[in-house]
Amino acid sequence: MRALCWNGVNDLRVETVADPEIINPHDVILNVRLSTTCGSDLHLIDGLIPTMRAGDVLGHEFMGEIVDVGREVTKVKKGDRVVVPSFISCGKCWYCQHDLYSLCDTSHPKPELPEPLLGYPTAGIYAYSHAFGGYAGAHAQYVRVPFADTDCFKVPEGVSDEDALFISDAAPTGFMGADFCNIQRGDVIAVWGCGGVGLMAQQSAMILGAERVIAIDRYPERLAQAEAFGAITLDYTKVDVVEALKELTGGRGPDACIDAVGMEAGGTGLQQAYDRVKQALYMGTDRGAALRQAVLAVRKGGTLAILGVYGLMDKFPLGVLMNKGVTVRTAQQHGQAYVTRLLEYTQRGELTPAALATHRFSLEDSPKGYDMFKHKEDGCLRAVFMP
Amino acid sequence: MNAVEHETQLDAAARAYVTIGMPAEELRTLWQRPDIQALIWADFADLTPVADRTLDWVAHGPAGGEYRWRTETAEVGANEIRWSSLDGADVPNVGSVTFHPAPGDRGTELHLEVKFDPPGGVVGEAVSKLFHVVPREIVLKALYRFRALAVTGEIPTTNPQPAARSGSTDR
Repeated sequence: MRALCWNGVNDLRVETVADPEIINPHDVILNVRLSTTCGSDLHLIDGLIPTMRAGDVLGHEFMGEIVDVGREVTKVKKGDRVVVPSFISCGKCWYCQHDLYSLCDTSHPKPELPEPLLGYPTAGIYAYSHAFGGYAGAHAQYVRVPFADTDCFKVPEGVSDEDALFISDAAPTGFMGADFCNIQRGDVIAVWGCGGVGLMAQQSAMILGAERVIAIDRYPERLAQAEAFGAITLDYTKVDVVEALKELTGGRGPDACIDAVGMEAGGTGLQQAYDRVKQALYMGTDRGAALRQAVLAVRKGGTLAILGVYGLMDKFPLGVLMNKGVTVRTAQQHGQAYVTRLLEYTQRGELTPAALATHRFSLEDSPKGYDMFKHKEDGCLRAVFMP
Repeated sequence: MNAVEHETQLDAAARAYVTIGMPAEELRTLWQRPDIQALIWADFADLTPVADRTLDWVAHGPAGGEYRWRTETAEVGANEIRWSSLDGADVPNVGSVTFHPAPGDRGTELHLEVKFDPPGGVVGEAVSKLFHVVPREIVLKALYRFRALAVTGEIPTTNPQPAARSGSTDR
């Protein structure tokens, strides 16, 4: 089959690789109908996250049609059109049973790699370096999906492929962020970042009853999309964000702040991570600044939901959180807990994930798509690939 | 215990711990199945059952090195299973796994401990050189694999389909 392979820093090529096969009894093989870029991919591509290997097939946000099923799969079948969350979860361990799917205890094939860094391994994830499991990704004609009964969700009538695609990652991640905010009547929610996850967090906050949603970014086309979703927008290059948020909330500050930006500094040690950030100084400082701004802006006793992917951050204003009594909620997406609900919201037209799809490419042109996505050319919010 | 003794003890045995949401008795029975033993240690050694309580181990080191030993289950108690290698082992070792109830409805706490005693040399370092992996990783991986197998009926793997080309290494 054809697949988009990482061959080294900023070296992406579409190559012919072996077709995936059923390995374990709960696996299925998916014929990928659509896959998409994610901001976190850029840091794999740029070499900011270690344990990438030459030939790694990228892509963790996808949907498709089941073409082969393992002998113990019972809930889905050949021909089903399904969306699959980016984290691989068994559905049976303590974490999955408690809706903490991205913390699954059993899906990581190489638990000895993350254990020293994180204390305990997380769930495996598609195409997110070997420290996160080394599973092959979905920018390909086919992808192997383990634990299909837990991880494959049938896409109902009335939900398009493009809508379903983002219910793989951007939508559930954003929705989880809004869910973390425990939104009450009258609440004002501020969201840093108007990429796919940030926009989905904004729309989700409205669905969950936020009185007002404030979106912060600097790219006009992204702010325009946030506005189209009904958010009040702030361009952080033009206003003092903390001051503007005070003005917009009568001096109270947002009840909850959602960081959908992240600072993707991986590394095997603190110093290495810090050095990597310094190498990418512009991006690194910019993104660290977003989180610090959110810490400062959130009201006393408010909630800070962190969705941005972080590595090892050594300069963090913990004292501000402590003195203000801020509740911090964070996680990689527990998608399986939300997908069914999000498909229903989408069916009713309350959630519109397909709005993220601004550019479409064939799989063969996917390196071009990543380039455009990375440089945000032509207002590229998300590039969608069709194998 | 002084610091030196403490460190020596840590070096001497590799330990790992997991909690599995199943009753101890069920896990104890599962642990004693030779086919399960072969699966959980498969990344470290090839296991062949010889008799009910006897297993042959072949561990592979770097550059084609092979180390062989035979283990026998020494004791099966209510909460503990112990085994040890027999005379003539290339790398003598003893191991044990214990099963104790976890609090609330969390199931059973398992402690796995393996002590390798290669001829001559500092234990941890020598084992790492022989097998090209540190003992802690060996026991951790085996115990995590056991949990996966017990909970889901399968062991997570990307073999033979890793994300990368075969033989590709970290960049």
